[in-house]
Amino acid sequence: MTIVEACRLTRVFPMSAGPVVAVRDASLRVDRGDYIAIGGPSGCGKSTLLHLLGCVDAPTSGNVMFEGRDVGTLTDSGRGRIRLTRIGFVFQRFFLLPMLTAWENVELPQSEAGASRAERRERTRELLEYVELSDRAHHLPSQLSGGEMQRVAVARALANRPALLLADEPTGELDEETGERIAALLDRVHADGTAIVLVTHNAALANRAKTRLSMRSGVLHT
Amino acid sequence: MTPLALAWRTARRYRARAVLAVIGVAVIGALNFDMLMLSRGLVLSFADLLNATNYNIRISGNSGLPLSRSPIDNAGTLMKQVAALPQIASVAVMRTASAALVEPSRRPQGVELVGSSDPSGLGVWRLLRGSNLDTASDGTAAQTAVVSQTLAERFSLAPGSTIHVRAGISGTMSALPPISLRIVGVGDFPFEPEESLVVATSMAGFARAHGGVVDDRAEFMFAASRPNVGVDAAVDAIDKLRPDIRAFSNEQLVANFARNAFTYFRQISVVLSTTTAVFSFLLVTTLLTVSVNQRLGEVAALRALGIRRRHIAATLLWEAVLLVGIGGTLALPLGQLLASILDGILRRMPGLPAGLHFFAFEPQSLVLHVLVLSATAIVAAAYPTWLAVRLPIAQTLRQEVVS
Repeated sequence: MTIVEACRLTRVFPMSAGPVVAVRDASLRVDRGDYIAIGGPSGCGKSTLLHLLGCVDAPTSGNVMFEGRDVGTLTDSGRGRIRLTRIGFVFQRFFLLPMLTAWENVELPQSEAGASRAERRERTRELLEYVELSDRAHHLPSQLSGGEMQRVAVARALANRPALLLADEPTGELDEETGERIAALLDRVHADGTAIVLVTHNAALANRAKTRLSMRSGVLHT
Repeated sequence: MTPLALAWRTARRYRARAVLAVIGVAVIGALNFDMLMLSRGLVLSFADLLNATNYNIRISGNSGLPLSRSPIDNAGTLMKQVAALPQIASVAVMRTASAALVEPSRRPQGVELVGSSDPSGLGVWRLLRGSNLDTASDGTAAQTAVVSQTLAERFSLAPGSTIHVRAGISGTMSALPPISLRIVGVGDFPFEPEESLVVATSMAGFARAHGGVVDDRAEFMFAASRPNVGVDAAVDAIDKLRPDIRAFSNEQLVANFARNAFTYFRQISVVLSTTTAVFSFLLVTTLLTVSVNQRLGEVAALRALGIRRRHIAATLLWEAVLLVGIGGTLALPLGQLLASILDGILRRMPGLPAGLHFFAFEPQSLVLHVLVLSATAIVAAAYPTWLAVRLPIAQTLRQEVVS
């Protein structure tokens, strides 16, 4: 079953020095069970493509179908709803809310999605166990290591049981050993049924994916 | 997690910024609160002074301002005429003259001599200790007197003491013999300047101090309307008695003064309270904007995770409300303290009635204070909220990584 299908996506950023084509005529389909890694040099358009797939940016041309719905026809709140309930994001810089504990960071998207208190409690406990951070549940991000923060971010991304997990350089800020642990966690997420698309420079991480793609100057190569 | 809870946690997380904002708003809010109390303080205080008497109508000569002590001629006749009006319950007169306290082995001390037809003092004094004037006094016995607190302290006087007062004669040395007055009470004279040396006695005592020869004039005449008659009808009836007098209800006097004499303070307070509100707005807007700019990545990530704009906007609004709310609440005791200090300074102006205050609290000031600060919080949150909810998610995330 297809989760997201991007068809001939082009994204042009207007700049004062002239327009920059970040993504050029890219097509990609992500099905349930997929694990796709996109590699390529910095500035080649990997993250832009990820943002287009994740409904946080709109293409200049082409279209994105998410679970059969044309994202371009959806309202802002419609796209927000997809991001909240069907997509999980993991960022290079974690972006956990520093004033909330690990538990509260994982609980936040569930609360926004309208889950009951009991459901939230159960799901958060389960996710923190899943990422092996039950003992750090009530620690603030400032009290966690980089790897622990990224594991909390993965737990947060999985909070509303998304169909698709998008990860933008998830090991970019971590050392090799910690990165390996995050990679293993992503393997487990995939094995448990969540499709993953990640962009990375890390060849070892990319090699764990079932499908490896690369980008050069905005063009996606299979 | 509710936007309020998130805002509270944000304020606690960025404690230094929050404390700075709260202190800033408290100081600015205190000034704003003071300006609101100043805008109507004199009027309220003046109204309190007038209403503290048992009379709700003032009668004065037609020339001059209502309280300029323009004397009323043929006061005795007028008093009888006013008392005979069906709208009037009671009437009283007050006379004032300069006098000297002459005590053996002390230099004569200038005092203000007040004669009152009302033994309880028409509200011109408020008894601190002792009793009011003796209603049974006649011309032969020693007249009774109520003296001001300052006079009592300076001359070590208390109820039971006797003083000797010589009435003055304008423009010449007085050769009148002093009269003895037995002090029965010590009081505050709120219409007189602070530290005034005042001796109040009955009209008989006042006449006796003038050698029994006193013209038929009065500096002030007071009347009280009957409870079942409107004060305006009573004022109209008095006005019609004679063309050379004017009657004013307390409300009319307060309204006249609010319109004429106190406009200055109102204008100053409007300008200053507007300025303080603008400062408050700038402070909170700046701090929130800086805060949002520091957290753009977080906000963009939240939006990418599907957190609604409404939720983010509500969080920022609550943050502004919390900062301004806590600061604004602290502003109340701080403003009250500041007002009492400023009031003390301003009331040192010479000739100011002791009972008059520049700053007066009324519920309306509190309501206005809350409204001004609420509006400030909302307006201050508007720009940072707009920044946060309109930010382009993808571009912001990209910039955060690049930076």
